[in-house]
Formats: sequence, C-alpha cells, structure tokens
Amino acid sequence: MTIIYQLITVGIILLVAWNLFREKRLAEQMAAALVLIPLILRALMIR
Amino acid sequence: MTPQRKYGTWWTALFLLLLVGGVLLIVSHDFLAMRVDLPIYPGLGVTSTAMLSDYFAPLKGTAADTMAYILQGDEPGGTAFVLGGTHPNEPASSLAAIVLIESARVTRGRLVVIPRANRSAFTCSEPQEGYPQTYTIETANGSREFRYGSRGTNPVDQWPDPVIYINAAGQSLAGSEVRNLNRSYPGSPDGNLTEQLAYAIVELIRQEDVDMAIDLHEASPEYPVINAIVAHEDALNIAAEAAMFLEFEGMQIGVERSPDNLRGLSHREWGDATDTLALLVEAPNPAQGRLRGRTSVELIVEGIDPFYVRAAQRGLLYVPFFEAGHPIDERVGRHLQTIAMLLEVYNEYTDKGVVVVDVPTLSSVLEHGVGAFLLQPNTTNATN
Amino acid sequence: MSSPFAEMIPLLAMVGAFAAMTFAFKLPVSISLVGAAILGALVAGQGVPLRHLVEGTLGYLDTLLIIATAMIFMRTIQASGLLDTIAHHLITAFERRPASLLVLMMLFAMSAGMITGSSTAAVLTTGAIVAPAFMALGIPKNKTGAIIAMAGILGMIAPPVNIPVMIIGGGVDMPYIGFGLPLLILTLPLAVAIVLFLGLKSVRATSIDRSLLPLSYHRQYGWKLYLPLVMLIVLIVLERAFPRIVPSFGMPLVFMISALVAPWTGRKMNPWTVARDAVQAALPVMAILAGVGMFLQIMALTGGRGFIVSLLIGLPLGLLYLSIAVSMPLFGAVSAYGSASILGVPFVLALLGTNEIIVASALSLIAAMGDLMPPTALAGLFAAKVVEQPNYTQVLSHCLIPAGITVGVSLGYMATAGFWDRFLFWDNRLALYGILLGSIGLVCMSILMLDHWVLRHRRESVGAQL
Repeated sequence: MTIIYQLITVGIILLVAWNLFREKRLAEQMAAALVLIPLILRALMIR
Repeated sequence: MTPQRKYGTWWTALFLLLLVGGVLLIVSHDFLAMRVDLPIYPGLGVTSTAMLSDYFAPLKGTAADTMAYILQGDEPGGTAFVLGGTHPNEPASSLAAIVLIESARVTRGRLVVIPRANRSAFTCSEPQEGYPQTYTIETANGSREFRYGSRGTNPVDQWPDPVIYINAAGQSLAGSEVRNLNRSYPGSPDGNLTEQLAYAIVELIRQEDVDMAIDLHEASPEYPVINAIVAHEDALNIAAEAAMFLEFEGMQIGVERSPDNLRGLSHREWGDATDTLALLVEAPNPAQGRLRGRTSVELIVEGIDPFYVRAAQRGLLYVPFFEAGHPIDERVGRHLQTIAMLLEVYNEYTDKGVVVVDVPTLSSVLEHGVGAFLLQPNTTNATN
Repeated sequence: MSSPFAEMIPLLAMVGAFAAMTFAFKLPVSISLVGAAILGALVAGQGVPLRHLVEGTLGYLDTLLIIATAMIFMRTIQASGLLDTIAHHLITAFERRPASLLVLMMLFAMSAGMITGSSTAAVLTTGAIVAPAFMALGIPKNKTGAIIAMAGILGMIAPPVNIPVMIIGGGVDMPYIGFGLPLLILTLPLAVAIVLFLGLKSVRATSIDRSLLPLSYHRQYGWKLYLPLVMLIVLIVLERAFPRIVPSFGMPLVFMISALVAPWTGRKMNPWTVARDAVQAALPVMAILAGVGMFLQIMALTGGRGFIVSLLIGLPLGLLYLSIAVSMPLFGAVSAYGSASILGVPFVLALLGTNEIIVASALSLIAAMGDLMPPTALAGLFAAKVVEQPNYTQVLSHCLIPAGITVGVSLGYMATAGFWDRFLFWDNRLALYGILLGSIGLVCMSILMLDHWVLRHRRESVGAQL
C-alpha cells in the first residue's frame, strides 16, 4: 500500500510541476512550488 | 485576489523549482538527522541486552525494533518490566527508563527496561506543534542531548493511515491513532508496524514471564488523568496501596481503574492478554498541552509556563501549577519513586519479589537534578 | 517569569502581515500565509526556521492527496457525462415531487461525507452529482453551491464517520461509541431544514425548463457509464463494512481507482488533460493548506496558539458558549480537523460533567462550520468550483444564515445535554425508537404535503401568467 501511495504522490507531483511550468502568473507559480515541498519529501520517504 | 499582472515565465518556474530543491536539501538534512539514535550508557546494573525482535522475529531490521536492557539480580525472584518512550513527546517517560538503565541495580529477581518503546516515533516530530528535535540535560560532565519525538510512529515507516482505525481489540478510533502504540495493544503478528510492535511487547511480557509491567507516560496539565496510576483491576490493590504510601512520603498521586470500554491501551490489554499486573503512570508535562505558550527546550526541561499558571488560577487544570512549573527533574523523579514504591508493595505480597536498589527518589532528583543520575558520555559502553 | 503578552506580539505580527499581504498587496492567500509565518518567526527571534515551516505543511500531506485525487475523480466523471446523466434522471423521476426531491438530493449529497468523514470529498462527489439537478430545478448557482457546501459539512458530521469527534475523543480518551444516534438527531433535522430554506422558494417559483435540463448519456453508453461511481461506492462500503477483511485503501486510492475507470465508460476525454486541469483547479486550495500548516506551526512555536486557547477556555460559562460559537468556526479556517483538535479538546475538558458525547457531537458540528470560513473555506471553495462560480464568497454569503442556525442549534444541543442524555440513552429503547420513528413519519408527511403545495403554487403562477 505504501508503494501505491508513493506512486500516487509522484503522479500528483508531476501534475503540479506541469502546472508550475504552464502557469503564467508568478504568484500561482509560487503556490505550486510551495505544494511541491511536502509532496516530494513524502515521495522520497524522507519525512 | 490574484494580481492581474503575470510575470511568470518558464525561467521563473525553473528558478522556483531550484529553490524548492534547495529548501528540500536543507530540511532533509534536519529530518534525516532524527533517525540517528542518541546514545544510552548502560550502568553496572545492566547484565544483558536483547532486541524486541528476539521476542518477535519479523520486527528485525524494521524501524520499530528496539533494545531492551535486562538488569538481573544475584538472588532469584520475579520479573518486572518498565516501558518508557511509548510516546516520545512525553520525555520524562523515556528519561526515567534511561535513569534506571544507567544507575539502578537489581539484587533480587529481574528488571527489564525498554527506554524507546516506539523507536520509529523518536525519528520525527509532530507536525504543527513547533517542537524542537532534541532537548538538553545538564550532567556533571557537560550537557547531554535527548530526542523529543512524536506521539505516533513515523509516517515514513507506516503510511498511509486508514480513515478509521479499528484496533486489534475492536475499538474504532480516528485514523491517525493507527500509529499510536498505546492504542494498538494487544497488537497483531500480521498487522501494521505499530501493531507488530505492540505484539512484540506483549510477547516479551509473556516470554519473560513478567509479573509486573509499568508503562510510563506524561499528560498535559488540563487532562483529567494526571499525576496518577492507571491500574488493570488485577493490579488495583497494589496501585492503591502504593499511592497511599507515596502520599505519606509527600508525593500526591491518584489511582484510576483501567476503563473496560477503552480498548487498545497497555493497562487494559497487557492485563487481559497476559498474567502480568498492568499499570500505567502519568506525570504533568506542560510542553504537551494546548494551553502552552512558547514551545521551546526550556519549556520541556524547566516546565515553566505562565499560561498554565493562569489556567490553574482559574481552576481549569487537574494538577496544581505554580510559577516554578513542573520541571523534568520532578516528572522523572515522580516516575522513579512510583516505580520503586509499586515494586516495594508488590514484594510484600509475593515470594517472587524484585528488589531494585539505587533508584533515585523524587527529592534526590529534585535536589541534584536528573543529570546527576545519568552516566557521563563515554563511548566504550554506549548503545544506540 | 515572562509575561503572557510576550506571545501576543508575534501573533499580532502574523495576523497583521497576513491581512496586509492579502488585502493591500493582493497576494494569493497561500503566499500571504507563508509570509506571515516567516515574519512571526522573525519577530519571535527564531530566524527563518525552515525545518519548522516545512514540518507545518506535512501535517496536511494526506489532505493534499485527498483534495487532488477527489478533484481528478470529479473532473473525470464530469467529462464522461456521468454527472449530467444522473442529474437528468433524478429530475425527471421526481418532477411531481419537488420538495421530496430536494430533501432526497440533500441526503444523497451528504452521503459521501457520512462515509468518508470529509466535506471536501462530499462536495466533489455526491455534491457535484446533485448540483446540476438543483440548478435545473431553478435554484440559482450560488444557492446551489451553498446547499452542497452545507450538505458536505453536515455529511462530514453525520454518522457513521465523524473525524472531528474522533479527534476530540482521542484527546480526552473517549471511545467512538454511542455517537450514532446523537449525531443523527443533530444533523438530519438541520439538513432537511436547510435545503428547504435555501431551495424551496426557487423551486416553487419556476417549473422545470426542459431545455436547461442536463443531457442524459444513458442511452448512448448504457450501464457502463455508472461504473466509476459504482466502483467508488463499492470500494468505500466494502472497506467500512468488512474492515477486518478488506484492507484500508484510503480515500486517495479509492478516488484514483474510480477515476482511472472513467475514461472508458462514457464520452471521450484525454485523461492527462483532465487530470492536469483538475490539479490546476485544486492547486490554490492545496497551497493554502500548505500555508496554513506553516502558520499553525509557527503559532505553536511562538506561543500564539496557547495565547488564544488559554484566553478562550478561561471565560465564564456564558461567555464560554459565546467563545465556542465564535472561535471554533473562526479557527476552523485552518480546517475543521484543526479546530476540533486545538479548541475542541480543551472545550470538552472545560465542560466536563455534562454528557461528553452530546457536547463533543455539538462541538464537532460547530468546528465543521470552519469549512466555510475564509481563507480556506474548503467546503465553500469546492462548492463554488462545482457550480463554476469563480468568486466563492458569493456562495458563502448564502451559507451565512444556515451556518448561523447550525451553530445556534449546536449550542442549544449542548446546553440541553442533560435532557438528551436522559432521552437518547434511555433504557426503554422501544419507546425511544417509537418516538423517533413517529417524528420521522411526521416529517415525511409534511414534506409530501409540501410537494402538493409547491405544485399548486406553480400551477397558480402559470395560470396568472396566462
């Protein structure tokens, strides 16, 4: 189950990152970057 | 709400991504540092050690496997068990167990001590609580660091949480309680990591034929069960008598019977699942409470908090709270004196007694500080 | 000893910075929260505590995943045509029974919240399903948003799964036993009253415009179309019904499995585009949650949280009720779960001595109102997304009165806890169930009478136009 959840997290990370690059408003880009931090930490099982 | 001007380009995105990478690098270093166990220095009383996986093999190599310290007396007798560090955000629990390992001796019977019951929970902090990762105790030879961990198993070791957690005893709880060791008893050999850990602890109690088992905790000052011994019905008489003698000695402590309908807790399940006399001891820790002010190492160690003083004046607390607070010296001292008294009362009623000597009393810990009963950092005999 | 007011300065700095950044500089709420958290730490002499800031966001990790996956699920069943189809059939089947339809749809909208314990999940699933039907009945989209937001919140509190109560119970060692009936008594009458309050007038005023009715794709795709929804229900119900046999999938996985099925069941879609746009729509909320996490962590670190909590629970009983009514929804802005944990637990402890089950049930409902509180306002925000209203305050404004009533009823429930204790835990279960069934019968009859009244009114108004 943990691996499945890691995969879901990676999927969401990709979608967020895609939006980060597609987004034209800097503030929204910052919001996307903010969301990436906890998601990546968990995907890598650091925290 | 959002500005109409844009400014965002592919380059700003890349820059932000690099910034995220930088932040991740820095914080990962902090988070991963938590996974290194800080040393414990077994004293002369420790005759052997074992791992919890010796009692339940599947735990081997997991983050939950933890060391048990065995203090064997020369004279044969019974076996007592002290569990510290069930909740690593209740530091007096683990610290009292460490004092036993580093300074107590056993002349009769046997004492088994686990100072880091939920070792995985020592490797992370509770989110949104602002806790430091370590706290410091002054010893004669300088300061020594101890981990301040989280209440539950590190999600990295057990993830995801279910929506509702139904524990092995059948109780429904909020999903996050699935990582709470003291809701997972009697555990399950094929359950999640925390349930396996709980199972291994119950196996230790069974295989070591433990006569009396004591689970050390702390609670916030606004919580009704505090400065108390919670006893399984089989151990109720011993708890009541110990509390009475402790009161004679000037230490106020209440006794609560383990509720029948609150399942999954040590004082209930240890007593139901094994022949041991199951007990749980609580001390007041303001760093855990929701009314606390600034969260800091000082609060954890000195236990001084102006908000709690005011709350006590308004009658909102279940424990007196004055300007002097409830320092960790007092909380550890209470635990140690309670353990000693419980054993003393138990010994009155059995020929399988456990005699532990050199357990510091509350007044001596208050006088000299808990650091005086901890060994000096000395790498030759350290265990992690 | 330091003065308790030392903790107030960083708190004031944080609140001030947040307000300034959001309102004066028009920054997104999430970025303002991050800025306020950093400033609070600086003012408290903590520097920029990166570890703390990031740790705060991790408290909402599971919620982030639920929001993202629920949004993806909702967008896929919208794209497949399932949402429109269900709305179409609901309306055509109940055309002659508008009041009953309103109540049934309200209960259906609540159902996802009842089994998942999450208002977000409810709004984005069952809420999204009934929203087109409400609108086709003539209810304006802002009111529709308000209805499904309230349904999500009431569903989250209604049994069998109420996470805020479990969180409160966890803090005071109260097992999650015996909450079923007290929670039903609290939530169901409110649900009926709220949907009739918000919807009946619009339904009465207009008859159904057939051209506005969402299309049904049932004939085109057959039963296959319903597969994602069936999958979702089966997975959730299986997990709840057989917790010992079926492993716990968790909401994100259940949403993902159901969403993965959707592209093959109805209208053609590009799953990647749908998922990407769904995450884009969810991103502002996800970022707000991350920012709120940071804000909370710094509030705990600097003592601002303790300052607020100790101020509130120290009030005398009369003021205590007032402070519950105001502070719990306000604090719920950081999520209903956070409010239940941070304030719910001390409030239950401050009110010990009455029936704790009733008190905790009522507190959980008041805390849940926090899901309507900006800046997060999870329920209101997602409801606005479902009804495609870009400005979610338009939706929230219609929630004001229902939310006020809900808080009032909850306080009343708490104040009369002694009565409910005797009634709901009455040994004579037969008499209790008799009284309850009788009341339900009466309510059903009143709703059927309302159906007739609405139809007669419609005929009259059509006649007047002729």
